Amino acid sequence: MWLKAIAIIFLFYFFAILQNSFFIHFNLFGAVPDLVFTLFLLLIFFAGKKINYTILFYALVSGLFLDIFSYTYLGVSVILLIAIGYLAKKTQLSLSERGDKYPFVYFVSLFIVSFAVYSLFLGLFFYFMGLAPSPIDFSLEFLFKIIYSLFLASILFWIYKKFMGGATDNRQLPLFKR
Amino acid sequence: MPGTKNILLNKKNSVLLKFLIGAAALLFFLAILNFFNAGIKNVFYILSSPIEKTFWSAGESASGFLSSLSNAGFLSKENESLKNENQKLLSEIVYLQAITNANQAQSEASLACQNASFEMLMAGVVGSDSQDMLSINKGSNDGILEGMPVINQQNVLFGKIFKVYKNFSEVMLISNKNSVINVEIQQSDATKPEIEGVVKGKGGLDIYLDLIPIDDTISQNDVLITSALEGTFPKNLLVGKIVKVEKNDQNPHQQAEVQPFFNISADNLFVITNYKK
Repeated sequence: MWLKAIAIIFLFYFFAILQNSFFIHFNLFGAVPDLVFTLFLLLIFFAGKKINYTILFYALVSGLFLDIFSYTYLGVSVILLIAIGYLAKKTQLSLSERGDKYPFVYFVSLFIVSFAVYSLFLGLFFYFMGLAPSPIDFSLEFLFKIIYSLFLASILFWIYKKFMGGATDNRQLPLFKR
Repeated sequence: MPGTKNILLNKKNSVLLKFLIGAAALLFFLAILNFFNAGIKNVFYILSSPIEKTFWSAGESASGFLSSLSNAGFLSKENESLKNENQKLLSEIVYLQAITNANQAQSEASLACQNASFEMLMAGVVGSDSQDMLSINKGSNDGILEGMPVINQQNVLFGKIFKVYKNFSEVMLISNKNSVINVEIQQSDATKPEIEGVVKGKGGLDIYLDLIPIDDTISQNDVLITSALEGTFPKNLLVGKIVKVEKNDQNPHQQAEVQPFFNISADNLFVITNYKK
């Protein structure tokens, strides 16, 4: 359990560094993929059903790394990710179960909506703190950011499903005791 | 039955209580964290900067390699050196024009030559976030203060110091949505009246020119330089080149798309430490 938690912390940390250094040189019209958010949603999507504390843990770690590597206050992303994580999981569970427990189309839809909601609320926060001139900014950069992040999220989705898919849900060791 | 109802209510209340206690504890924890915001970020910077720098260089090399592949027939290094040379020449043109102007008005001489007298501190770029900010490896320990201008060796303006930590600083690029700087269009003819406007950040490493009076003539490839009107940046720093002019009869001002001269892939930048506001 602890090993898995530590591995996840390091993975989030690695992704945060990667998106703030390596991927800056591969920006698409100024847009850089949000790897930390992508990993967060991926882990939530493939987690089991009763994962309240797990969502809290993922949101805390990923949110803190997102805030540390940006110029905002610590905790803004944590709160947003907790809310988004729970809502995304609830939505996923409310969708009818098919033969495939983790359909790609569910993931893509959830990713786009969650990412838009996250960006919207983060934009609102920046606006009210006087850090952005306008509250809502659905610019071309934002569009490219979603597309870029979604592209990488899709790759990660297939990798996760292929190599870890069998270990999800019931057969997976829980991160926290249920 | 009333007993069952009470148990259910108690269970509901207990869940709500747990949620409230949890939320309060989380908010308290985050509030405490923010007291140590600068310290925490500084520690993470110290821990991460060697790895971040390595990835930054790796990304730079990889993107250079890929761009050289995609632009078959062109060597990226040659391109880079030509760009640098071009910027240097532009910088010299600005300097020479400033000297020409200085012959006409003695008072402008000090402005034209002021860049040479600046004290500059070299800083390495270690990272960036998606909000048009750069992290550099110099902080308050090195004498960096908020608001100091940041340029490269070709006098290309990058932005200004936004936040200073002990060992590193955040630079707000001129493409940041909060950035507004006064500029003037570089004139080839010194007798022509100066055209002044503002360059605003669009985000995503883009900038645009605004507040140019509709009657003034601006055209593609015109070079923008800082005008030092707002007192944050010195005069004659290179900002960008006009790509497309946008005129609208309903707007008393014209706008223009601008291609910024700064290059995010820069390894080292210079902070002007003695420019007085």
